[in-house]
Amino acid sequence: MTITVSQVTKRFGSFLALDAVDLHVRSGELLALLGPSGSGKTTLLRILGGLDRADTGSITFFGEEALGLTPRDRQVGFVFQHYSLFRHMTVHDNVAFGLDVRPRKDRLTRAEISEKVTDLLELVQLAPLADRYPAQLSGGQRQRVALARALAIEPKVLLLDEPFGALDAKVRKELRRWLRRLHDEMHITSVFVTHDQEEALELADRVVVMNSGRVEQVGTPGEVYDQPASPFVYDFLGNVNRFECMIRNGEARLSGLSLTVPATAIAPGPAVVFVRPHDVELVPCDGDAGAGLPRARVRHIFSVGPTARVELDIEGHPLEAVMDQDRLRSLNVHSGNWYAVRLTRPRLFGAGTRELP
Amino acid sequence: MSGAGANVCNRVSLASALTVLQERAQRGATRENRGMHVRYSVLPGFGPTLGLTLTWLSLIVLLPLAALAIHAAGLGWSGFWHEVLTPRVLAAFRVSFTTAFAAALINLVFGLLVAWVLVRYRFPGQRLVDALVDLPFALPTAVAGIALSSLYATNGWIGAILAGWGIKVAFTPLGIVMALTFVGLPFVVRTVEPVLQDLPAEEEEAAMSLGASRWQTFSRVILPALAPALLTGFALAFARGLGEYGSVIFIAGNMPGISEIVPLLIIIKLEQFNYHGATAIGTMMLMLSFVLLLVINLLQSWMRTRHHAQ
Repeated sequence: MTITVSQVTKRFGSFLALDAVDLHVRSGELLALLGPSGSGKTTLLRILGGLDRADTGSITFFGEEALGLTPRDRQVGFVFQHYSLFRHMTVHDNVAFGLDVRPRKDRLTRAEISEKVTDLLELVQLAPLADRYPAQLSGGQRQRVALARALAIEPKVLLLDEPFGALDAKVRKELRRWLRRLHDEMHITSVFVTHDQEEALELADRVVVMNSGRVEQVGTPGEVYDQPASPFVYDFLGNVNRFECMIRNGEARLSGLSLTVPATAIAPGPAVVFVRPHDVELVPCDGDAGAGLPRARVRHIFSVGPTARVELDIEGHPLEAVMDQDRLRSLNVHSGNWYAVRLTRPRLFGAGTRELP
Repeated sequence: MSGAGANVCNRVSLASALTVLQERAQRGATRENRGMHVRYSVLPGFGPTLGLTLTWLSLIVLLPLAALAIHAAGLGWSGFWHEVLTPRVLAAFRVSFTTAFAAALINLVFGLLVAWVLVRYRFPGQRLVDALVDLPFALPTAVAGIALSSLYATNGWIGAILAGWGIKVAFTPLGIVMALTFVGLPFVVRTVEPVLQDLPAEEEEAAMSLGASRWQTFSRVILPALAPALLTGFALAFARGLGEYGSVIFIAGNMPGISEIVPLLIIIKLEQFNYHGATAIGTMMLMLSFVLLLVINLLQSWMRTRHHAQ
């Protein structure tokens, strides 16, 4: 089931929620819509599910125009952030709902429905809780019921709106892995919305980064992380050091710093340079290796887990570096120590590139 | 209560860890919460407040009712039934209960409609409409009765039109239903409104995305969620209708056996200095109403436990 979104625009009053969005969803993939709140990701998902209408543009499901179709005809399973289970129905009845409301000629018999519901509850590992009411379940259990309910109608597309947003960190992580396994078994074309970059990068086959109603970049998690297409994507995915700079004579001079990075393929003028913390290398000041490099002083060290985060002060500007514990020990990093700094993989964006919000 | 239950659930949560044992523990915890167990609360004073509550209820509700029952008991068993089981009294009971029931039903339907419009839509003059709903509470019911009877009398504005079609409202049981509908209007609206406000639109969207038609969404998702509130509103409107006197006597015509209501009959007995007769009918009314409200209450709590089962 492929989905093609072309030139979809949606306004809420004067607010432009979606600005001529184009998107292609491949058959069987797990696609993440990632962006900050207000970026239009949920609006796009709701339009895909038929819960909202686009002002202009078109959506095709496997080549067939879908904007005019009701949610029922689209055969879309929708999972809401806050579960939206029917409170007055048991878990069993919730999952059976989509089968119960079918027109009589398409409806399965009571026994067949019951059997199917049991199968689904087994799939989401909730079979013993079939007679419970939603209020008697934990958040993670409710979300799995919501998923089983959406799967019951055998949707061609599964849409999930921040499916793990309301859960605590541990449950979220386990549910995330479980969803990935489920997707690998069933191969339903799935689109999920998230503002959590870690979730998107870990779970999705491809990530769509959205910002102010536009698609900034589409790519595999590796592509969007390693080759961000815009300053926004660079900034949004993971921690990053950001400096204003001026490009002159094939060299970018960082504002207020005696630090330069080579800039060959970029027009002279103002620009920004991004450096990931793990691309900031600390070098001892006393050796030859540190000669000619700018100096920075260590302000704080956060060393929990396998990597340590070092906060530095470089000529009055904050700079963050990440290194593993061995490196930290061998460099003998302590608060107040001075080091020479080398930026190994700086990334430059000229003034022409899209502005940050 | 739900907090504790949900917490237990959260800890247990992941399916792999779900064992029968934990389920049982959880069920145990739930049962404990439901019992007489008093939990720590920010505002102390369970003892004094419960005592005060019982004293207050006794003073305001139970004492007068007990006096009524004791007075009626002076008649003796056979005397009591002799007063109550006359055709005129039985007819009055029938009129009172059927008209109050019919009016409560009408209010159930239209009250839901009004609540729906007030909650789900924004329109100019909404505040005005909102205030209008409460007017039947504030207006002296006699005024309402006079206004309604002058409107619906055969020479009134609406009565004249209806008379053309052969429908007579004023001075018939239909008039009583009309008056009771008027005084009972706010109950359903005001009880359903807050529940409707809390009903997330997402549940309706979920139903829609699962393929439910509009009618199925309404009847299987919205209506069951509103049922306890609707029932409360219905019970209040019904009880109000049973006790209503002022507005009814002007429009009812008060023909014994046809449009004479129980409260009026009690007044008539009192005017004839038949105090025992009046208290006997009053006690009967009291018992019937109490049983009815009790049944409705039980039905309600059953629904609530189904909904928000802890």
